Amino acid sequence: MSIEAIHLPNANYQDESGLRSEEMILNMGPQHPSTHGVLRLVLTLDGETVTQCTPVIGYLHRGMEKIFENRPYMAGIRYIDNADYLSPMINETAYALATEQLVGIEPPPRAQYIRLIVNELERIASHLVAIGTYGLDLGATTPILWAFRDREQILDMFEALSGHRFTHNYMRVGGVMHDFPKGWLKTCEDWCTQFLERGIPEMHRLLTGNEIFEARTESVGYIDREQAIAFALSGPLARASGVEFDVRVNRPYGAYREIAVNMQTRQEGDCFARYLVKMDEMAESVRLVRVALDRLPGGSISQRTPIALRPPRGETYAAVESARGEEGVYMISDGSEYPYRAKLRGPSFTNLQILPELLRGHKIGDVIAILGSIDIVLGDVDR
Amino acid sequence: MDLSVQRSAEPAPPSLRAYDRDHINALLTQLARIEERIGAPLPKSRLSAGIVNIDIPPDKLVEVALLLRDELGFDMLSCVTGVDMIDHLESIYHFRSLANDWLLQARVRLTAEHAEVDSLVSVYQSANWLEREQYDMFGIVYRGHPDLRRILLEDEFIGHPLLKSFNSTPIVRHDRATTQAPAIQAVAGENLRHQERIQTKRLGQGSLERIHPGMTTFGGAAVYLETGQGVEPGAMSEPGRYLEGAGSSDEAAEAGTMPQERG
Repeated sequence: MSIEAIHLPNANYQDESGLRSEEMILNMGPQHPSTHGVLRLVLTLDGETVTQCTPVIGYLHRGMEKIFENRPYMAGIRYIDNADYLSPMINETAYALATEQLVGIEPPPRAQYIRLIVNELERIASHLVAIGTYGLDLGATTPILWAFRDREQILDMFEALSGHRFTHNYMRVGGVMHDFPKGWLKTCEDWCTQFLERGIPEMHRLLTGNEIFEARTESVGYIDREQAIAFALSGPLARASGVEFDVRVNRPYGAYREIAVNMQTRQEGDCFARYLVKMDEMAESVRLVRVALDRLPGGSISQRTPIALRPPRGETYAAVESARGEEGVYMISDGSEYPYRAKLRGPSFTNLQILPELLRGHKIGDVIAILGSIDIVLGDVDR
Repeated sequence: MDLSVQRSAEPAPPSLRAYDRDHINALLTQLARIEERIGAPLPKSRLSAGIVNIDIPPDKLVEVALLLRDELGFDMLSCVTGVDMIDHLESIYHFRSLANDWLLQARVRLTAEHAEVDSLVSVYQSANWLEREQYDMFGIVYRGHPDLRRILLEDEFIGHPLLKSFNSTPIVRHDRATTQAPAIQAVAGENLRHQERIQTKRLGQGSLERIHPGMTTFGGAAVYLETGQGVEPGAMSEPGRYLEGAGSSDEAAEAGTMPQERG
């Protein structure tokens, strides 16, 4: 980044009381444990107060959209895993959905329910990482261990289902790759029960009533509703500010057209509310998984689609609710084997944009609390 | 504070209003009103999944966006996309109306030589980074943008990578920082510094690989083009000979180009 883009310190700075102090620049990142990846923040400080912040991103840019243009439709599913690497299943659903809209096919009911189940499990796994590492950022070491214990069991289930803990490559255009292996449903039901009975209450006991955690998050990083909409925020970040927007509710897709979702919103708009929305969403996701397991239809898990898929000419935009917000894929087909254009709308990228607004006027210790509450995945920011 | 899970009971069945035909027709009637206000036609079309597309003349973009936000309640600009259509560029916007669950796609056609369009930052704050990304990837200039810089790529980067004219593999082979000769040079013994290596992608070559497993997709497509600089004329007369004849030591010996000490 060029030097002109940085807000240079004002040598003649005076605060309200007329005292002269000098501003300074602090470079935070790209290697910094609290940025959860490679994000660089150039902070202009007056004493301990942040006056300006310039985020520098792109360290993880892999040219994903260009890669899509050079791969067949089916191969793109494997690449989109790495965009938001904490919720690969949900990315794949967005990509598969966009391709299905181009081709004009609909997966069989069983495939749609399987998608819902793995999507909700992935949402819980992603929120567990978000909450666990958020506690770690603020000095609480235990939550991440307990969160990863529960998350590991979800990843084990995914491994049994798709063969991979991450980068599952599980969705297909017109369905999913494998059906549930023997005993999987029982494992999933048991996991739901023990997570509701033990996992969530434990996390509440560790963090929600924690005095230090509350002091560092309550009324920190306030976003009001109008600001959230103007910055196009989505996901738990927006819902903690009272924005009633959830793609699963507003534009339901797949099995969400049959299973209704309770939108979890809070009005406080601070870091603590964002944490609580994530906790509530995990409980809601468990409920959705249980409902879907109850109503799971039989039948085939995939439509027969050719491997060398050639959708007719056209364009479409498909959005799903990822763990971080609206994950959208805009796709153009020119009738050939490769997408003419596949644009990935990453929720983290759009959500991160509000960071300079939020940091202005906060103390430097709050930078980490605010950044952690936005819950970005740098793979999704840079793509 | 209430910490129990909010509304944990089974909610009302999902609303499919966003895909409802009458509901989308209501949007089309509202858009007709905007056409009258600005005095220019906005060609409308329906896409799949209940999305409505309108084409906006480039000079009317800010005007229409203001009307969309204030009159129709499209309060969220959720996505900005550039598209390279070879003969022209397009800047595509996705607006959301939270109150009515509408999703509107707006398309602005730009000329390839002069890709400039007014910025929407004054109307939607979220346009800031979204437009910067498209400037980075396509070189579309958003007039009036407060901070139009590259965002994902470094400032020194040359070119706009998502343009179809951009080569994703570098054309010129640079000398690698090693004392070891590359394999092809060790065998053929010739200096390939002034040659260009181009990988061409043919349409449908992916399917070839699937039908005949084991066939390499890209290796077979590599051709060596001659630039004719710094190489003796005879050595460059047959394009592609380095691939076929690379293993033939006779040919290399005949040309007197066995590996020698490099100066």
